[in-house]
Amino acid sequence: MAASVRPLLERMIFRPSAGAVSVSVADGWRPSPRCYATASCRSFSGGAAEKSTHFGFETVPESEKAKKVYTVFENVAHKYDVMNDAMSLGIHRLWKDALLRAAHPQPGARLLDVAGGTGDIAFRFLEYVGSQKGRWAGRSSWWQDICQKDPGNREEGEEGPTRDSRVVVCDINKEMLKVGRRKARRTGLADGVLWVAGDAEELPFDDAQFDIYTIAFGLRNVTHVELALREALRVLKPGGRFMCLEFSRVTDPVLARLYDAYSFQVIPLLGEVIAGDWKSYRYLVESIRRFPAQEALKELLEDAGFCRVGYRNMSGGVVSLHSGFKL
Amino acid sequence: MLRNVLARFFTESFFVHRTVKYSPSIQASSSPFASVRNFTDVKDESQQEFDTSLLEFLVCPLSKKPLRFEVATNELINDELGIAYPIIDGIPNMIPQEARLVQKDSDSPAQE
Repeated sequence: MAASVRPLLERMIFRPSAGAVSVSVADGWRPSPRCYATASCRSFSGGAAEKSTHFGFETVPESEKAKKVYTVFENVAHKYDVMNDAMSLGIHRLWKDALLRAAHPQPGARLLDVAGGTGDIAFRFLEYVGSQKGRWAGRSSWWQDICQKDPGNREEGEEGPTRDSRVVVCDINKEMLKVGRRKARRTGLADGVLWVAGDAEELPFDDAQFDIYTIAFGLRNVTHVELALREALRVLKPGGRFMCLEFSRVTDPVLARLYDAYSFQVIPLLGEVIAGDWKSYRYLVESIRRFPAQEALKELLEDAGFCRVGYRNMSGGVVSLHSGFKL
Repeated sequence: MLRNVLARFFTESFFVHRTVKYSPSIQASSSPFASVRNFTDVKDESQQEFDTSLLEFLVCPLSKKPLRFEVATNELINDELGIAYPIIDGIPNMIPQEARLVQKDSDSPAQE
């Protein structure tokens, strides 16, 4: 381990500009509406036959990005949850809880969790709808009539909605899905979750299948964000909600500097110590900087066809929850 | 709610630590102990049956047409395009690049 830490320390000592570069990127990256478009235009003027895209701070051909991202998550899959806790000091759990509270799923809802490999959102969804069961006891009969008329629900009104809550976890990475499934079995939530290996840009689901589509900390790893958004719109039922939890731009400049220092100095070190892979965590940190900011992502959602798009910053802008409806 | 969060934080980190203890031996492929543990893991995983309730959701990601579950080869087949998606350890692999062309005389060859 000492041998692998040495290049990391050398990098930190002899290239302290890594910190400075990140600060200037954070300062200069105003959430302009065209920022995402400029990135792809710039790659065209490069003269390469194939379009290139960002992989962290590197520029790679688009075809390579998916492969590289796959390798990153294959390497970190087994330590993913531990690293999440270590890097965010456990706060990621609060962010995900906030996502579920904002979504407020009702029993009988169908959730598609994309890039949800280890199942954090899926398990929270099942617990949330489970806790909603008590509310159904006092419901008026007209709601139960509606539920019984639903062709997908043939059971009694009292049991039906809760039994029919399904969550499908779709992730391109089979290792992450396996880790998630093992967690499900351990926590006893295996029944309500279906696991599928699939590409967010080409979802293997029929139109208008889901009530809620969530993607938590996965959208920045997708090569073509606009394709993923279009697919999200397709698989949602009318009235369905798209929710995206993603790292975003910190609003306060002082906090931004602290956050950059923490991201570029501490996180790769944690990655090396806990997961034995600092490069993957450096990629993760860099990919956050390359992802569109709050307003830019909001515009992307609107361009894709979502209505009533809004976002809510959490932890001072470290994380942002974007939401849109298919109407 | 905060109590619940804190409680879950502490309890779940115990679970996580238990996985951390096992994972280094899963990752190491050279030692015989690791291969025994891997074997047990593989046996556990391969007992996973494909959940057929998924069929109500799944379609071919390319053509968005319904699929046929072939029990013999444990694949989901799109007869129209002549491609088969494998099911590995009960998880269907719906990534188009990893689908297999189905060689059949009567069907037309896959166009995509």
